[in-house]
Amino acid sequence: MITVNNLSKSYNGVQVLHLENLDIPKGQSFGLVGNNGAGKTTFFSLLLDLIQPTTGYIKSKDILVNESEAWKPFTSSFIDESFLIGYLTAEEYFYFIGELRGQNKSDVDALLAQFEDFFHDEILGKKKYLRDLSKGNQKKAGIVAALIGNPEVIILDEPFANLDPTTQIRLKQIIKDLAKKQGVTVLVSSHDLMHVTDVCERIVVLEKGEIVKDLATSEATLKELEAHFTN
Amino acid sequence: MIKHFLSLEWKQFKRASYFQKGLAIKILLFLAVLYFGGIAIFMGGVMFFALEKTFPDIDPIVMVNNFLIYWILFELMIRYFMQQLPVMNIKPLMIIPITRNSVIHYLLGKTILSFFNFISLLIFLPFSIVLLFQGYPVVNVVLWFFAIMCINMSINFLNFLINKSNTVFYGIASLVIIIVVLRYFNIFDITEPVGVLFNGLYNQPYLAIIPFLIMIGLYKVNFDFIRKGFYLDGAISKKTKEVHATDLSWMNRFGNLAPFLKNDIKMITRNARPKQVVMMSFFFLFYGLFFFTQSVYIEKMPYILAFAAMFITGGFLLSFGQLVPSWDSEYYKMLMSQNIPYRQYLESKWYLMVVAVAVSFILSTPYIYFGWDIYLMIAAGALFNIGLNTFITLFGGALNRVPIELNTKAKAFSNTNGFNPTQLLIALPKMLLPILIFFIPYHFISFNAGLIALALTGALGIVFKNFFLNKIENIYQKGKYKTVAAFSEKK
Repeated sequence: MITVNNLSKSYNGVQVLHLENLDIPKGQSFGLVGNNGAGKTTFFSLLLDLIQPTTGYIKSKDILVNESEAWKPFTSSFIDESFLIGYLTAEEYFYFIGELRGQNKSDVDALLAQFEDFFHDEILGKKKYLRDLSKGNQKKAGIVAALIGNPEVIILDEPFANLDPTTQIRLKQIIKDLAKKQGVTVLVSSHDLMHVTDVCERIVVLEKGEIVKDLATSEATLKELEAHFTN
Repeated sequence: MIKHFLSLEWKQFKRASYFQKGLAIKILLFLAVLYFGGIAIFMGGVMFFALEKTFPDIDPIVMVNNFLIYWILFELMIRYFMQQLPVMNIKPLMIIPITRNSVIHYLLGKTILSFFNFISLLIFLPFSIVLLFQGYPVVNVVLWFFAIMCINMSINFLNFLINKSNTVFYGIASLVIIIVVLRYFNIFDITEPVGVLFNGLYNQPYLAIIPFLIMIGLYKVNFDFIRKGFYLDGAISKKTKEVHATDLSWMNRFGNLAPFLKNDIKMITRNARPKQVVMMSFFFLFYGLFFFTQSVYIEKMPYILAFAAMFITGGFLLSFGQLVPSWDSEYYKMLMSQNIPYRQYLESKWYLMVVAVAVSFILSTPYIYFGWDIYLMIAAGALFNIGLNTFITLFGGALNRVPIELNTKAKAFSNTNGFNPTQLLIALPKMLLPILIFFIPYHFISFNAGLIALALTGALGIVFKNFFLNKIENIYQKGKYKTVAAFSEKK
């Protein structure tokens, strides 16, 4: 689904990301971990063509993301609050995204109905602008908006941060289902080792912009990751 | 304690965004301040003589006192729209071991140095000095000036109370309208009775104590108000108003562009900054009055009128359009990674501007009063705006990478968003081109030829819409990464 080739990004001659080769097959739930400044968000921004690669390229479904816009219809993402439109209510925002992705009101409503649990009655029908919601609730809205329109690739940057425990557990279930049942390629980054090992089939550890570990998740993975980050 | 506050204040001033700009802008801003300050001082200095000449049988001070009420109401309006509440910066001071009272005194005291307070000072100080030189009694003049300054401060403090409640604002706004209407139809002239009050201030100087007490009183009210609400969820919290969703589904007829147009309408109606811009563009409608009332322009230099005609219908186009990608800066990353072709995004902005020009044109119908020539000129100007200025504006937007905080009112003189040399360069053709296009055929053929040339250029622009939009889209595409990076920088 996603192929990375000799991708690097430098700012003023300082390399912040360098990925020789990376293949993410369709339907994989892919986890990215690493300390601050390891290059996680840089990688996601490159995937979304928000920054320009210094060398190399990313292909998504054989489309060069920095040259064509054809990846946009099947890719969705939530990186941070700047993906929300602050002056809309949650519903208006969902419908807006729906319209952009060719979904009518009832399609969106049907999808939202599945996430009633996840919203925990704090998002819909609140008559509040998104900018007036708490950080956690903003995040919930952003994540669900990323699921609208049957995307084939979903990119979530630190989706577990700021969420309450109940929602974290529900989100884990949602991500697992997406990859397993619907064959969606999900890319997640996180600082919470336990959550990623729970959710992802494959975990890549970044350090100073380079891949230092590429693990297929198993019983031993969590221990291995903990050992890695202890040093 | 005061030392700390002052050093904070100095840092805030020195490090404010408008000082971080390039030297050229600093100089321009400095000149602008000098210019407006100079105008105020000049007005104050000349006012006495001008009034004396125009109304020889009325004492200028009486005249000034009679019309003071309008000045006060005008100032109140301007402040309501432009002046920021000081309370927003309270948060970091809340947990520091300083007594609440001194924090509040500091905040309120700070507002005394607001730019708006200096307007009155710069006008009335020279006026009072002239009065003294003209041999008016010193005590009366000095205390009158003092009273005016107290009133000025009272407005300053009153504004903060008004800002907290819409009812007070609409009350005052309707009062102003009623006063003006009553006077216009000669039913009742408020200037006389109110003038008596202000003249009383002058004739009985000891009465200056009254505005002084009012000022102290309003200060106290403000103080208590903030004191009582000195909590995160109190006076300093931003109001979260309940949303009244409006049904905009009728706009779906615009097809692909509908989601963007609907979104833009919401953006304009729900955020402080764009609302301010719409208000401003409304005032542009009256711009023609400066020109069409002067026979000099109509008889000798009608090409200047082309400029005025362009301005009347171009208010929204100029003030909103020049900040086009910036309006979406808060969520630009999302727009760029969502399923949105750049073309549609730009086209929807174009339609928005076209609709605004059309609406302004309809609103400008009363200009028929100045004759059909003038009205046709406005029509030609509107066509020019739609056909050419929209594209120039969108093109200029591609070079503008200053993020905008949507829900924060622009402050006077710190409103340098989108204010840079390139913007100025882009603004020049928007204003000079209509004059030029009108002037050449006018000079060599006739007035009507000028009109036709102006209208025709606009029509041509509409015909080549796709060509222009394609070019502009390419420029936006090229600048995409730079724009994304600039918009995600924190201010």
